Amino acid sequence: MTAPQAVEATPFTVNAGVGHWLQSYMMMTRWELTSLRMLLPLIVAIQIVIGGGFALGVGLLSDQMPTRAALYLSTGVTVVTLITVGLVMGPQLVANHKTAGTYDFMWSLPVPRTTQAVAWVTVNSVIALPGMVAALLIANWRYDLPLQVTLSIVPAVLLTIVTATMVGYAFAHAIRKPMITQLITTLVIFVILGFAPINFPPENLPDWLATVNLGLPFYHMAVVMRGGLTEGLVTNVGISYLVLGAYTVASVVVAAWVVGRRD
Amino acid sequence: MDDWTFRAEQVTKVFGELRANDGITLQVRPGEVYGLLGPNGAGKTTLVKQVIGLLKPSSGSLTLGTYDLVEDPDAARQLCSYLPQAQMPIDSFKPHQVISLTGMIRGGDPVTVRQRSEEMIEALDIGEWRDTMGARLSGGIKRLVGFAMVTVWPGRVVILDEPTNDVDPRRRRLLWEQIRRLGDGGASVFLVTHNVLEAEKSVDRLAIINDGRLIAEGTPSSLKSEDRGRMRLQLMMVPGHATPEMPAFVHHHTRVGNNVMAAISEADSAHAIGWAQELMRLDEAEEYALAATTLEDVYIRMTGHVSEDMGGEVQA
Repeated sequence: MTAPQAVEATPFTVNAGVGHWLQSYMMMTRWELTSLRMLLPLIVAIQIVIGGGFALGVGLLSDQMPTRAALYLSTGVTVVTLITVGLVMGPQLVANHKTAGTYDFMWSLPVPRTTQAVAWVTVNSVIALPGMVAALLIANWRYDLPLQVTLSIVPAVLLTIVTATMVGYAFAHAIRKPMITQLITTLVIFVILGFAPINFPPENLPDWLATVNLGLPFYHMAVVMRGGLTEGLVTNVGISYLVLGAYTVASVVVAAWVVGRRD
Repeated sequence: MDDWTFRAEQVTKVFGELRANDGITLQVRPGEVYGLLGPNGAGKTTLVKQVIGLLKPSSGSLTLGTYDLVEDPDAARQLCSYLPQAQMPIDSFKPHQVISLTGMIRGGDPVTVRQRSEEMIEALDIGEWRDTMGARLSGGIKRLVGFAMVTVWPGRVVILDEPTNDVDPRRRRLLWEQIRRLGDGGASVFLVTHNVLEAEKSVDRLAIINDGRLIAEGTPSSLKSEDRGRMRLQLMMVPGHATPEMPAFVHHHTRVGNNVMAAISEADSAHAIGWAQELMRLDEAEEYALAATTLEDVYIRMTGHVSEDMGGEVQA
């Protein structure tokens, strides 16, 4: 056996700049995707089943689903699939790192922390998008919907997924005990499904709850998604873009603060 | 930059009421393997986590040459490699892949990193598992893969927290050779360990940390100087038998399980043997051994603990 030469200690300088950031981002995305490669097909399949199953399952509530209700439902399901990944699955994967004791190593890697967050958004998108598309296709097939997909679906999906992912990411990193993270994410998803006007119009809620929802991001996520998928179903899309955009910026700022802070 | 000396000045880290590190000052020069010894909870891991930027000191400074590691945690992570005590997230990776990928994340070019990765796999004798998924590796092999990951493209400071945990004795020797080579390449190696005997053979200098404070620092032989001329009499007591009353020539003693270790002067060896034989005749002891003192004896005297592999507390 030949022993290797002594390896010279590096670096001589500290890297910074756009090139270093992009290189780090690509490496971290590769790391995260490879880390999940055994689970990824399963996670994506589960997302497809959740999205498709939800679209079909709610249809069982009545024999004749009115077209407007079916449109609300199927476009709402796309938001639910994106939110579920960002706010539930993402934080649980971070909690797993904490439980397994591997968190310190991931946090000691010589990359800008923001690249780890953006790689996380990328991985969450890879997980969420197939489920979202499947939900839409299945709902369209089941209810024969007058969908009109426009390019504005791209910013709508981006803002929704970045906001949900960054809020979940900040939660998962800020809360020390993984068990608490899991309890909170479970609570969040139940509250969103039950009390946020995603799958139904806000008029169905008591006035005060509808007003509360105007200040939260979930209703606006649903509005911008509907704006990109339908014609005439929603109005005042511009205001929803503004509110959601503000939430996106705030969630990124908070996530950056959380990951940059040291005890 | 020519000066890559690592300096910790008066580093204090407080968690609520607990002073996990209390005014720690030390220096590590490039090429040095520097041991941090101390019982569990002494503050060793807290100290190295501040070096890599996972924790922030309550006060004090940590610098590497002209770089301020506290003010610039991005620089700290690029300049320092860190093998944590906990396991590594490699379940979904094959060893050769994850060693190369970490090397590239550390800034190495792909071709050189792949070549070094293969060299390290060979040097640590883990070629048998080169293509085995991490989830199917034993704890010791995972540890060696983790070591290769953080040292395939080493930083200026390499922090190894209990690197030999779970590693079999033969590969432990190979691991120590690689740790020495890191020093030969110019890295400052921080070795956190509770294994005093291994540290004695492998480090250039060491610090003993207890209750958050640095209580001794020096080369292994300088730390042993106070015990020069002393011997260790080890008595294996009959199970359950009380510790016998110590004769006047015993400086101090420790009991771990049924073993009593007594420090004596070399000149008292004959008396000590006579006493041990008397205890055997009285059926109080089963056997005895007389040996030169090691760093372990210094460690016991200073910390009031025996090293973890033996487990126990000093009784007198």
